[in-house]
Amino acid sequence: MDTTLLLLSVMCLTVSSQPITDSQRLFSIAVSRVQHLHLLAQRLFSEFESSLQTEEQRQLNKIFLQDFCNSDYIISPIDKHETQRSSVLKLLSISYRLVESWEFPSRSLSEGSTPRSQISPKLSELKTGILLLIRANQDAAEIFTDTSAFQLAPYGNYYQSLGADESLRQTYELLACFKKDMHKVETYMTVAKCRLSPEANCTL
Amino acid sequence: MRKAEGGILLRLLLLFMLHATGTSYSPPGKPTLTRCRSPEKETFTCWWEPGSDGGLPTKYALYYRKENSDKVFECPDYRTAGENSCFFNKNDTSVWVNYNITVVATNALGRTFSDPVDIDVVYIVKPNPPENLALTVLWDQTWPYLHVSWESPQKADTRSGWITLIYELRIKLEDEDEWEEHPAGQQKTFNIFSLCSGGKYLVQVRCKPDHGFWSEWSSSQYVKVPEYFNREKSMWVLAVIFSAFALFIITWLIHMNCHNLKQCILPSVPGPKIKGFDEQLLKDGKSMDAFSSLVGANFPPTTTNYEDLLVEYLEVFVPEERELMLEETKELHNDSLKFENSTSDCDSGRGSCDSHTLLIDKSEEEKGQQPDQQSSEIKMDGKGQDEEDKYLTCSPENVDSHQLSSEKVKTWPSSFSPLPEYSPIPLQQPNSHETSKQPCLSDSLFAAGPLPSHFPHLGHNTKDEIGSSYWQFGISNKQLHLLHQQMEAHQQLQAHKNASVSNIGHLQLPSVRFTEYVEVQRVSDQNMVILHPVPSHPETSYPDWHQTEEYSKVKCVDNDNGLLLLQREGVEEGMDMCSYEELPESDPSKTTNTTFTSPCSQPAPSVQDERVVGGYVETSVFTLPTY
Repeated sequence: MDTTLLLLSVMCLTVSSQPITDSQRLFSIAVSRVQHLHLLAQRLFSEFESSLQTEEQRQLNKIFLQDFCNSDYIISPIDKHETQRSSVLKLLSISYRLVESWEFPSRSLSEGSTPRSQISPKLSELKTGILLLIRANQDAAEIFTDTSAFQLAPYGNYYQSLGADESLRQTYELLACFKKDMHKVETYMTVAKCRLSPEANCTL
Repeated sequence: MRKAEGGILLRLLLLFMLHATGTSYSPPGKPTLTRCRSPEKETFTCWWEPGSDGGLPTKYALYYRKENSDKVFECPDYRTAGENSCFFNKNDTSVWVNYNITVVATNALGRTFSDPVDIDVVYIVKPNPPENLALTVLWDQTWPYLHVSWESPQKADTRSGWITLIYELRIKLEDEDEWEEHPAGQQKTFNIFSLCSGGKYLVQVRCKPDHGFWSEWSSSQYVKVPEYFNREKSMWVLAVIFSAFALFIITWLIHMNCHNLKQCILPSVPGPKIKGFDEQLLKDGKSMDAFSSLVGANFPPTTTNYEDLLVEYLEVFVPEERELMLEETKELHNDSLKFENSTSDCDSGRGSCDSHTLLIDKSEEEKGQQPDQQSSEIKMDGKGQDEEDKYLTCSPENVDSHQLSSEKVKTWPSSFSPLPEYSPIPLQQPNSHETSKQPCLSDSLFAAGPLPSHFPHLGHNTKDEIGSSYWQFGISNKQLHLLHQQMEAHQQLQAHKNASVSNIGHLQLPSVRFTEYVEVQRVSDQNMVILHPVPSHPETSYPDWHQTEEYSKVKCVDNDNGLLLLQREGVEEGMDMCSYEELPESDPSKTTNTTFTSPCSQPAPSVQDERVVGGYVETSVFTLPTY
């Protein structure tokens, strides 16, 4: 009798822990994918920078501050405190939007060699993964009421609006912004994952 | 107003005083921002390097501007991080935001701006080194190993996932110089094996955020490995000793059996030895004695069985300019056609004669005719009693004067085409006789018995009883003129033939063919064997077709111009012999020389003597008009 009860409880635990483990697994996958994308973005940016002259570099630095990144309209936590204050769902949704905002412009990045050409499809896959996670973590009660987060600016044409003679600048901006956004997503995802993880030390 | 004037006046006075003292003062030099670092991605610090101060007290100020904003802020904290530094605390730090930082140096004479620097906090993270490094020696059965553990730096918040760190440790023996580095990933423990027994080790560890800078190495931790018995090493020592011992034994064995092994592996090459030869005799100087032993019963060979050297084929040498070879082939459809390709086989049965292979067969008639200058032999066979199908078709088309240039062509001009009345039998083996075509002279020129009266003009030795005979003429390349003669001959023959044809147009086909034996009458002075027929059978015995023919082959003409004949058993089959057909002669005067044979030796000396060689000679003597 006792043994059967014990068995039943164990089974129930395992069954109930399934969604958590599934969620964990999905998170792990998503986090690793984002990490890869960020690495890719970093590599592209450093390659681009190394190909520039120092004079051009200085100019670009000046220019960069005056311009905006495409995803600036997306309000996201910019420090740890804010991030920790945000719910997992919020983090996930922000990540989703960030990834979505890059889906279109990444096509101009995807020209050329193999690692570059993988950016666009990887972004799509990541978007799908995040969506899955959102659905998995969405409770009925918790409705996302922050409408500001869903303001979709016409980002599609942002990077094409620049003049043709400023292709260097455009490339620089594109690469820098992409790198930054990927790092944002990576951080948010990691924080969200660690928050859901039962272990104390989630980085393992 | 007065105060302001006073201030200006004071400054001027100061300047004047400075000038008066003689020192040069200048505005401050340009400061440079050396680095900015964030230990945990929540705060950061910037350091700068001051330029020359220009001799005057200089003040430094740091101003920064955030991206997307023109508002300039000054550094909130100049003291926390030390001299020439600016510390940005959590409230002032924004991640993923570009900071534009400038340092300004100010002194009494002016101010100088540094170059601006753009930073993003995310990319300047350099964490503190890991803490609480602990070393433990644990045992795995009989072998010790080192267990290293540490903690992440305190400030870095890895727990919430805000920052992820990867670690690396390094180890070395105390007295060594080279470190052994091991990347450890995100884990905080590590095991090291293969330690030296009784060695003292130093261990250090450091960390790095996933995108950032490596931290400094932590302080060293020492550990002493206890003494232990390294079984592995001792095993190796034992193995080495044993193998050395085994090697020694093997070497000793080889040395003992050196000689035997040499014999086995490298057998001595036998020296040359002649049987029956005594070296000692040679050494002693008695060479003759030494060699005499060699002359044994078998050396040199004194007796030979000459009969072993006999060949079956008769080769008769034809002198070059008169080398006209006639061969008769008779094609019997039920007989195998044995074709004497005399020119092609140069080696067979030569004996001492180097002539063309010829078969001298009996001819049924006239063999007693004088051998002609053009000695040729016709092989005749009286076999084949059947009718016209026995006739071998002389394929006159075979004549090809072009062939004469290179080979002995046994062709006969096309004039000797078979008579239309007589259905020609195609050559059964025309292909094989390409080179030596034997157009037979088909001739039904000669009918059987009743006809002889018709052909006396053709040749006085024509035995008309004989059926058609087929002639083959081999004309060598050296006898083109002979060919010409032949042509004339054949023309004559043709004439005769035609004549005979006309004569015998109504004649029945002589179906009877039989061979007659000829006997060598004498050898003429032109090296011709004059044969005369030997009436072995009555001429009327036509039905007697199947006569066993005995013929001997002329082996050769020996030095005394004698025909050496080989006695031979009767061979009926397989001998393609054409029945002798007389060839007409052009000149009655030359009829005496109608028979000719190809003597196998040099034709020069004329043979006066009559040589009866013995036996019957089946010679296909062919009479051709001599020219």
